[in-house]
Amino acid sequence: MIVRILLGAIVSASAAALAAAAEDGGRVDFNRDIRPILSNKCLACHGPDEAERQADLRLDRARDATADRGGYAAVVPGDPDASELIYRVESEEELEVMPPSSFGKTVTPEEAALLRRWIEQGAEYAEHWAYVPPARPTPPEVSDPSWPTNPIDRFILVRLESEGLSPAPEADRAALIRRVSLDLTGLPPTPEEVDAFLADQSADAYESLVDRLLASRSYGEHMARLWLDLARYADSAGYADDPARTIWAYRDWVIDAFNANMPFDQFTIEQLAGDLLPEPTESQLVATAFHRNTMTNSEGGTDDEEFRNAAIVDRVNTTMTVWMGTSIACAQCHSHKYDPIPQTDYFRLFAILNTTADADRRDEAPTLPLYTDEQKAHKADWEREAAELRATLSTPTPELLEAQAEWERSFPAEPEPDSEAAKAPEAIREILKIAPEDRDKDQASKLTEYYLSITPLLKAERERLAELERKLTPYTTVPIMQEQPERDRRTTRIQRRGNFRDLGEEVPPGVPAAFHNLPDGAQPDRLGLARWLVCEENPLTSRVVANRCWEQIFGRGLVSTSEEFGSQGELPTHPELLDWLATELVRSGWDLKAFFRLLVTSSTYRQSSRVTPELLERDPDNRLLARGPRFRLSAEMIRDQALFVSGLLSPRMHGPPVNPPRPQTGLNAAFGSAIDKPTSTGQDRYRRALYTEWRRTNPYPSMTTFDAPNREVCTVRRDRTNTPLQALVTLNDPVFVEASQALARRMVREGGDSTEGRARRGVRLCLGREPSEKEVAALVSLFQDARSDFADASDAATRMATDPLGPLPEGMDAAELAAWTVVGNVLLNLDEMFLKR
Amino acid sequence: MDPRTERLQHVTRRHFLQGMPVGLGAVALASLLDDGARAADQARPATDPMTPRPPHFAPKAKNVIYLHMSGAPPHLDLFDYKPELVKHSGEDCPAEFLEGRRFAFTTGTPKLLGTPRTYAPRGEAGIWMSDAVPRLHEVADEICLVKSMYTDQFNHAPAELLLFTGSPRQGRPSFGSWVTYGLGSESRDLPGFVVLISSGVQPSAGQGAWGSGFLPSVFQGVQCRSEGDPVLYVSDPPGMDRDLRRRSLDALHELNAMQAQELGHPETATRIAQYELAFRMQMSVPEVMDISRESPETIEAYGARPGAASFANNCLLARRLVEQGVRYVQLFDWGWDFHGTNPREDLRDGLTQKCATMDRPVAALIKDLKARGLLDETLVVWGGEFGRTPFREGRTAAGSILGRDHYPDCFAVFLAGGGARAGYCHGETDELGFSVVENPVHVHDLQATILHLLGFDHERLTFRFQGRDFRLTDVHGRVVPELLA
Repeated sequence: MIVRILLGAIVSASAAALAAAAEDGGRVDFNRDIRPILSNKCLACHGPDEAERQADLRLDRARDATADRGGYAAVVPGDPDASELIYRVESEEELEVMPPSSFGKTVTPEEAALLRRWIEQGAEYAEHWAYVPPARPTPPEVSDPSWPTNPIDRFILVRLESEGLSPAPEADRAALIRRVSLDLTGLPPTPEEVDAFLADQSADAYESLVDRLLASRSYGEHMARLWLDLARYADSAGYADDPARTIWAYRDWVIDAFNANMPFDQFTIEQLAGDLLPEPTESQLVATAFHRNTMTNSEGGTDDEEFRNAAIVDRVNTTMTVWMGTSIACAQCHSHKYDPIPQTDYFRLFAILNTTADADRRDEAPTLPLYTDEQKAHKADWEREAAELRATLSTPTPELLEAQAEWERSFPAEPEPDSEAAKAPEAIREILKIAPEDRDKDQASKLTEYYLSITPLLKAERERLAELERKLTPYTTVPIMQEQPERDRRTTRIQRRGNFRDLGEEVPPGVPAAFHNLPDGAQPDRLGLARWLVCEENPLTSRVVANRCWEQIFGRGLVSTSEEFGSQGELPTHPELLDWLATELVRSGWDLKAFFRLLVTSSTYRQSSRVTPELLERDPDNRLLARGPRFRLSAEMIRDQALFVSGLLSPRMHGPPVNPPRPQTGLNAAFGSAIDKPTSTGQDRYRRALYTEWRRTNPYPSMTTFDAPNREVCTVRRDRTNTPLQALVTLNDPVFVEASQALARRMVREGGDSTEGRARRGVRLCLGREPSEKEVAALVSLFQDARSDFADASDAATRMATDPLGPLPEGMDAAELAAWTVVGNVLLNLDEMFLKR
Repeated sequence: MDPRTERLQHVTRRHFLQGMPVGLGAVALASLLDDGARAADQARPATDPMTPRPPHFAPKAKNVIYLHMSGAPPHLDLFDYKPELVKHSGEDCPAEFLEGRRFAFTTGTPKLLGTPRTYAPRGEAGIWMSDAVPRLHEVADEICLVKSMYTDQFNHAPAELLLFTGSPRQGRPSFGSWVTYGLGSESRDLPGFVVLISSGVQPSAGQGAWGSGFLPSVFQGVQCRSEGDPVLYVSDPPGMDRDLRRRSLDALHELNAMQAQELGHPETATRIAQYELAFRMQMSVPEVMDISRESPETIEAYGARPGAASFANNCLLARRLVEQGVRYVQLFDWGWDFHGTNPREDLRDGLTQKCATMDRPVAALIKDLKARGLLDETLVVWGGEFGRTPFREGRTAAGSILGRDHYPDCFAVFLAGGGARAGYCHGETDELGFSVVENPVHVHDLQATILHLLGFDHERLTFRFQGRDFRLTDVHGRVVPELLA
């Protein structure tokens, strides 16, 4: 399609390179060569979906395709000329050709030839590769045993050799430390860290560096960002008024889990079913907020049951996408058209997730209150004391009743404005107007109740109680998963065409029949589901997770459609490597740090990213990895890096979301309050982007511009676009202008007295490498040029150097700093800043 | 341009282009030697996803201006005249219309509500319109009114999402994203898909109404604003003038070119080109957003006021943007949710006042486009996300203010220009306005028809995501041939 071709630079290209392998006249491989043709061109009408099936013909299974149809068959193994399938795809008759012209897609002559050869060779079907559990391959022998560092490299090198390519030399050390720091922590190295690494002569200098980065707290923050896209984490509930939602304790849980290197199977089980573990810890309950990140609709007049259902649908889809790379969403309305997932199976999963207590409520119930250790230590005492005080405060002693009588007598008929008496509610004043003996019992007790709440005699007790109540307030709350009590647990029925009001037969909870069974002893509940996802028999989870880690580090997955491993997904570029990695991940006990260590210590990863025009033409997307990875940083990394190199970034971790500067919109949310919020002050202005309040209908503008999703639904893969609006952000957004100003001050402070030295310091801070003489000259020339502009424009100079960062430091010159700010602004906009090298 | 700047630019550009690897230089050359001139025929970076491209077949419309009345205007008081309903006004709503149904804010048996407005046929074509929209009477012969619209959703956010993304849930690409994905944009120095919001409130669907969903984010709508920067971050930082920005960009390009030479990565050339486009946008956006450049007569015709934030200003801006080659302009105007909970939502004076802010600029827009020869290739769409009930809204039924509840079964939209059939009225509802009885048009049909006018087969404008080819019309929609000129 023409649009796709034009978009080639941003949209993943087709697997042309792979298909070519089949054109050599050799053995046709069903999964590689035939399945994509059937899946794209035939199965919509001749596949698993019985409702859409035409002519009662099914081509996705051998026994149906070869069945006798009254003297003929669609596929006659060994005899293409007798196969109706071949006749139909080759036909030029409008009424006979398949697919019909109304379908909009045709089988190309090349594809028809492949089908022909496949039938000639016996028309063997094979199970879809990703549904067969990975077997651990032996890493292949290579001709140059000196290049591989670990088994990854053997798989990569063998492929390169077969393509007549050779790997690139190792990247220079400065490039390498910046690359690996960004990949593992989301932050660049400091010049001092670079120096230390360059000076480290030990054989394992690089490995030590990797270990240091994996142990840093920034590792968890960086990894959390990626997971939070999958978890569709946001600080708002979504839909029309998009009210704030307090759920950041979950975000912090994710950071801590990565930093503690929680094994991925445990990470899975706690998030999906922490509440169902025996005697769950508080942390395991917090983890279950994973599936409380679904949206809640509190628009007036909406049906809570409708949106509760929408949330369950989201949980089913997200679970299958995150762990099994399978977009099961189609099966909500009809049996899957390409993969063996009937609608019943969809609702079996739905039934597992359909029995939690949450129900699209405005207050997000059920929630878990969280207390600090200090609170926990004293909670029982405080609660006891508070109960005693409440009793005291509601018990009228004779002494108090006497004081009340006195108070009543002295109560003025017409209280002075602002006096104590004027604070008494209207209802109380009305009772006071009635003579004590004429008051009924209710009035009398109301009056006493009121008096007890104001009497000076109990002032100390009241104040103590207020203090205790403050102390007993949780520091935050978090929505959690909680099963409904057994007696009123929901049952699940098939929803016809996905309509929650049009119900069919009842469906018991379970896992899709096309896959493996629940592990021994597991119940068909969330805990069983979680164990099923990470059990040995699961063919997908280990591959999907390994592939996502690979994509994170190398820029594209071995399966480039990292969100889709089913029939409609791309085939892996290196199938054996993928299986080796998947089995290695499981073998290590789902140890993610070890897995990332494996990836980044490979020779493949350490290659220089320099590319020749020939190689660029041969492999524009670097699928074969004859060079190191080089691609644009994420929205969060771009912001964090600018703040980091300028020295502004706050190291503070965890806590409530913050609001760094953002443009005022002047708008209200629909049926909600003003969208604009006050800007955070102090350190909170400069926190890592991970902590920026994530509002679904009003995402932080610069993040959106750099392709961050709005997190309404699970996002596996972000785009990496390159647009003029991005240039406007990093040139003009006050956040980046402020960083330029701070960077300017840093260059002057740390770069010595010479202009060259300062320019050099700027480059080292930003890029972690020494600049070339030409680069220094260009920066110095810009500085001098800007300096002379600002010399006779003191107002402009002051604004350039201080708005919004703040007053000039003692002894610094406005024009000088303004000119360095211009230089800093250029440094922060260098192409190299947006990419890892 | 200041001679010093000119010289500087010349020197730095030549210097750095010489140093570029072959191929890279050629791409950058085309973009960089253009001194900000608006020249649509100049080469764009090879990878620019906004490069104009032809649709599936010859289009009638090249551009779209979509005027969305957020909240759902009361179609029974504007375009769908129901004399029988007037006759039975105040009577109990017959049970047959209520059985098994839910309404957003109405329970029990509500009272039928005939329109308090007066109706008459307007224009040569004799299209019935109420007295609430007197200015639209003047363009009755230009419009193609559809009185038989229906939708699946009766809450604002899901209904707006269905209308603009084809699905009631968040996460799908919006109309303008699909259109710019399919067609690119003629304008080289303005965004291809612009969003303008009036009356101070975002539409219920939030930014999802102009989001790009799973399409590349370059296709998301860019909100242009009347206060602050017209496009976010389009202004240089305080203290930096244009001349210095120019020189700093030259230095930036020079440094980037050194890197490109060393590493040979083509994305660098694209980035340089995008910075140049950003530089041009810094000029062109404030220019196009400045309506004071229009003649006093034009400003008066729209009822616009330079410097204010209003729907009238946005209509005028829409024309200016389309004139500059912007592909899709989406307007959202808040305040059409006529429940009757306050005097502004009353079907008598409240509606008169609200319509006065709308009908004049809309009529002016249609006339203005026509006078400039742009109406033929610009499709104007007006409408809300659903209709309103033929009975009084439950919560406000006891009060003196007349309002209606949300109603998905019938509503009205109109098209003008861009190959839509002028002076035509399509579809009918029953005597009381409870259901469509003739020529029903679902929102997916409207989407299919608009795409058709733009030259697309809606079933073939697809994008593969998670293994499936998605489209705006989901798995539904049919072109309504009667609406085509």
